[in-house]
Amino acid sequence: MWTDESRRCFLRRSGLGIGWLAAMDLLGQSDQAGPLAARPAPLPASAKRVIHLFMQGGPSQVDTFDPKPLLNRLHGQHPPRSFGSEDFQNGKFHDLTLMGSKRTFARHGQSGMQVSDLFPHVARQADDIAVIRSNYHEGFTHSQAQFLIHNGWPRIGRPSLGSWILYGLGTENNNLPGFVVLLQGGVRSGPEVYGEGFLPAVYQGTSFRPGPDPILYLNPPPDRSLEQQRDFLDTLRTFNARHLRERSFDTDLEARLQSYELAFRMQMAAPEATDISAESAATKRLYGLDNPVSADFGGRCLLARRLVERGVRFVQVWSGNGQNAIDWDGHTGCDQNHLDRAAETDKAVAGLLADLKSRGMLDSTLVIWGGEFGRTPTSDGGRGRSEGRDHNPYGFTLWMAGGGVRGGKVIGSTDELGLRAAEHPVHLNDLHASILALLGLDHERLTYRHTGRDFRLTDVGGSTDLADRLRQA
Amino acid sequence: MSPATAFLSAWALLSPAGLSAATGESISGKARSILETNCFACHGNTRMSGLDLRTAAAALEGGIRGPALVPGDAEASLLIGAVSGNGEFKMPPGGSSLSQSDIETLSEWIARGADWTDDAAPSPQSKWWSFRKPERPAVPDPNETAWVRNPIDAFVLAGLREAGLEPAEAAAPRTLARRAYFDLHGLPPSPTEIETFIRDDPSGAYERLVDRLLESERYGERWGRYWLDLVRYADTSGFETDHFYTSAWRYRDYVIESFNRDKPYTEFVREQIAADELWPTDMDLEGTLNLPAGKKENVKRRIGTSLFTLGAFPIEYTYYGDLYRSEWRAEAIDTIGSAFLGLTLECARCHDHKSDPITHRDYYRMTAFFAGSAEVEIPLVSLYDTQTSTRRFPLLEQARILKRMAKGSVKDLAAEERRELLARLGEAYLQAPEPYDSAKVLGYEGRVPQTYVLAHGDFRRKGDPVQPGFPAVLPSGPPLVEPDGESFVPKRRAALAEWMTSPDQPLLARVMVNRIWQHHFGEGIVRSPSNSGRQGEAPSHPELLDWLAVEFAERGWSVKEMHRLIMLSSTYRSASAAPPEAIEGDPDNRLFGRMNRRRLDADAIRDSILAVSGRLNLKMGGVGVILPLTKEEILAARMPYLWPPNPDPQEHNRRSIYLQAKRSLTVPMLQIFDAPDTARSCSRRETSTVAPQALAMMNSRFALDQAEAFADRLRRETGGAPATLVEAAWSTALGRPPEPEERETALAYLERNSLPRLCLMLLNMNEFLYVD
Repeated sequence: MWTDESRRCFLRRSGLGIGWLAAMDLLGQSDQAGPLAARPAPLPASAKRVIHLFMQGGPSQVDTFDPKPLLNRLHGQHPPRSFGSEDFQNGKFHDLTLMGSKRTFARHGQSGMQVSDLFPHVARQADDIAVIRSNYHEGFTHSQAQFLIHNGWPRIGRPSLGSWILYGLGTENNNLPGFVVLLQGGVRSGPEVYGEGFLPAVYQGTSFRPGPDPILYLNPPPDRSLEQQRDFLDTLRTFNARHLRERSFDTDLEARLQSYELAFRMQMAAPEATDISAESAATKRLYGLDNPVSADFGGRCLLARRLVERGVRFVQVWSGNGQNAIDWDGHTGCDQNHLDRAAETDKAVAGLLADLKSRGMLDSTLVIWGGEFGRTPTSDGGRGRSEGRDHNPYGFTLWMAGGGVRGGKVIGSTDELGLRAAEHPVHLNDLHASILALLGLDHERLTYRHTGRDFRLTDVGGSTDLADRLRQA
Repeated sequence: MSPATAFLSAWALLSPAGLSAATGESISGKARSILETNCFACHGNTRMSGLDLRTAAAALEGGIRGPALVPGDAEASLLIGAVSGNGEFKMPPGGSSLSQSDIETLSEWIARGADWTDDAAPSPQSKWWSFRKPERPAVPDPNETAWVRNPIDAFVLAGLREAGLEPAEAAAPRTLARRAYFDLHGLPPSPTEIETFIRDDPSGAYERLVDRLLESERYGERWGRYWLDLVRYADTSGFETDHFYTSAWRYRDYVIESFNRDKPYTEFVREQIAADELWPTDMDLEGTLNLPAGKKENVKRRIGTSLFTLGAFPIEYTYYGDLYRSEWRAEAIDTIGSAFLGLTLECARCHDHKSDPITHRDYYRMTAFFAGSAEVEIPLVSLYDTQTSTRRFPLLEQARILKRMAKGSVKDLAAEERRELLARLGEAYLQAPEPYDSAKVLGYEGRVPQTYVLAHGDFRRKGDPVQPGFPAVLPSGPPLVEPDGESFVPKRRAALAEWMTSPDQPLLARVMVNRIWQHHFGEGIVRSPSNSGRQGEAPSHPELLDWLAVEFAERGWSVKEMHRLIMLSSTYRSASAAPPEAIEGDPDNRLFGRMNRRRLDADAIRDSILAVSGRLNLKMGGVGVILPLTKEEILAARMPYLWPPNPDPQEHNRRSIYLQAKRSLTVPMLQIFDAPDTARSCSRRETSTVAPQALAMMNSRFALDQAEAFADRLRRETGGAPATLVEAAWSTALGRPPEPEERETALAYLERNSLPRLCLMLLNMNEFLYVD
């Protein structure tokens, strides 16, 4: 169906640049189904696909995976001068009040990893998890931080991590979008955060809605049956084919004809893929669907597994709907906030890991857990009266599992209060470079030419040391 | 690295390595490029240390340290010592250094005698095409009287002939009419309008059509939209807070009106940059009843400066003071660099531009034009009206009620008494006149702070102080005479505006005529419309571009004149179809031997659907409309209450340019068809082809509703016999009657399906979405 010429022409018209063509030449392989065709990674890959569990609002590291005994001892005091006195929001850091964690930590698994009692189920998977305690970036507000974590840039306009990966690897299911986003509700930084930026629109993240109409506008109105829909498409094709005939060869018009067929195939495939009722009762329990508190997030985790199983390249599952009380943004009563979020997510996250493992998919599926930043070891304003924690992009925890990551280890550290990254600091460019590396993509060569220069996810930074550490035994 | 430093350094832009000066040039050309890129910023116009390196004579004369070079002896030349770091001092100053190969090139050039080939050129401008002032080129004479209608055709035909190609045939009248309507209005012609054109006296019918279209106010809505894309227009700030810019819509209306009035382009540019400085005005009535017309006009001009009050910024409490100011100025310069000059300046925010001769220093000299400028809110009514029309309660009444209430809490009052008091309070409020109209525009913040070069764009890492100034590679502007200190009313933006629109400015006219061309042909003569620098593409027809630029200036910078010129050419009137040889000979149509077939953009698609359904509401202007969206459509919005739909259903059918542009959520129907993200200047919308477009056109509430309305309209207008319905459906949606084969298919379909479904199909046809 695609001649060389028509493919070139299509790529050009669809806005695909030289970067991609060069990447194709590099791989020495021909592309059989347009820009979304699956292609092997150019470098050795341990992960084939990604599930990103995104904890919107920013979970606190000192209450989850990064215990700080000193912090508990200094609870209620100002930070010692040795921690600096730089400007921190409206005042100086040393004027703030330290707030210890109410959680208790225990050692889990053979590795003895410390996990707080917020996550009893995830703790049981400690040996599959690699915790990175020394992440940092420069975005203090939610939207800037979300843009940084997802797009590597603090503003609108850059492609999302999932878009870059789709651009690099294509997808293995032509009937479903290759990058799917499963939201709980609102997004603080807006939907551009999973947008394709300047990449061609085929790489955009598609938000799947809950319910029988998962993709926006997926289903025809009730008065149009499947047969009528097919009739509609066939008749439309007759008209369009005639129009095309009179216009000799035009790949744009041809591509549009194809897009209607893909839309129809999606209409067939998406409801099947998203129908979790077909899952066994045991599986549903594994994800916490039997409990109304955890059923929502659990359902989306289960859906994520069904999607990656069907070849979707990148799935993002969001916890939190962008409002302080219903995401991880614990400005007031951080402990209770986190207890609530943990109750919603712990079972499902553990269930997802266990399920992937039992299906033999964990080895090739990279699971990433974390928010847009962490939280401060100090109380958020009110001179210690508030039991909340503020945003902390200077040092925070993420974890990864599967996809070649050797679990049961802790990478990096924060200082003794849990404020700043200390050992092995991982900048977000390093994080992105390493995620791409696990997928066999070279962050310096995965480029796209836009406004006269080659752009990459990692801008001018990025090191893959983290990937090496994650893979090491 | 502290957080904010690193945060800002994330703006540092990378330029691909290895892009040195243009290759294939002579050694003197190469040497000149190196000097231009690395040295002219300080040793050009500004003559730092007395040295000007732009001409041989000046370089030999040298500065305070003596001659810069000794022709024939590289080692003895100060220049080589400085750039190689072997001499007493190193140049360029700071961390940056010339590459070894650049140093070798300069040494070789000096050793060979330092030949300054273009010394004869009167102005020390760059050799790069876009930095030279356009001169009227000779119009080629391709010996063709029939096809060549105006010089555009002569240039295009010459290009085609050189490639051994011929232009395509002329487009059919219906095709041409449809093209003209979409190009100038962004709406399809109605069947009557097409018939009027077809039946008109062929001699002059098309000219009259173009004139009619240019006179309609629909024109300003179409071309205003392109301008709004270019200046990243939106009604909110974006990011988490998505702060509402209450008067941004006035700028949108200002743009539409400017295009409709065919305001000279230079005036349009001057107003937006510096209306307050160039046409200062007060709102004193001066003894009359109404504000004098001149004052009204000047206030209107000032709305143009709102351009700088509607960018994308994370407006939160952590984003203020010098941080905000430095971001704001940088955004202002980036936007006007792209929109007005077609230059991507932002690379120079953190370091010297790697490919264009725009230095780090140049960038901050440009931002200095905005030092002291700030957003201010001004009344749009006279001083008298400002004083009398505030929505303050009549004070006495308010005081009386409050006193009464203060006696006890409102709850303690008897129900009836409470009701009465509240009613009186409400009454007093309602009787107070409306608050007066006001707008956010540019003004002064009270002082003019010193501008500094900022290392890596970080507002806290101040380097050298700089004064306002223009990139050395471009002609110099008017001298700026200012008192010492920070307390004065500057005229900096006026100077910037004068410079930008001066007759010597090489970029302004070229960039604009190229944009006009691009929106008529789908591609510009330069295919990188907002990058005329070395990273951009070279023009396919440099002489034609210069000819158009010169014409533009000579025709009083009239945009409408340029439409006429272009649209009346045979080049524009060509068919989009061409024989295979022609397509093979020029697959990308770089020579414009045929018309490019184009998909309608998001706004035109939505507007055309409304036009065809008969629901389009042509009301102009006013505050942006918020469409009702379904729960699914609005899912990702952070707070659903930030999306309060307009209660009047008539308003939902207005042209897309009048919809409120919220940065946090684009209307899905527009987003799916590649609406710009409004984060930065957009000179060219993408045209993607993805499955969600098909889904939206087949299944969305909007598409289904409009298909119903279209069907109602057809039944109403034709009486309802299937054959007439089909006939009318085709001519309404596609501007032509159905072919027999189509009629047959459509009638057969109608037997199995409803009329709305056939109408929906028409809206889904490629022919509906594409213009030949």
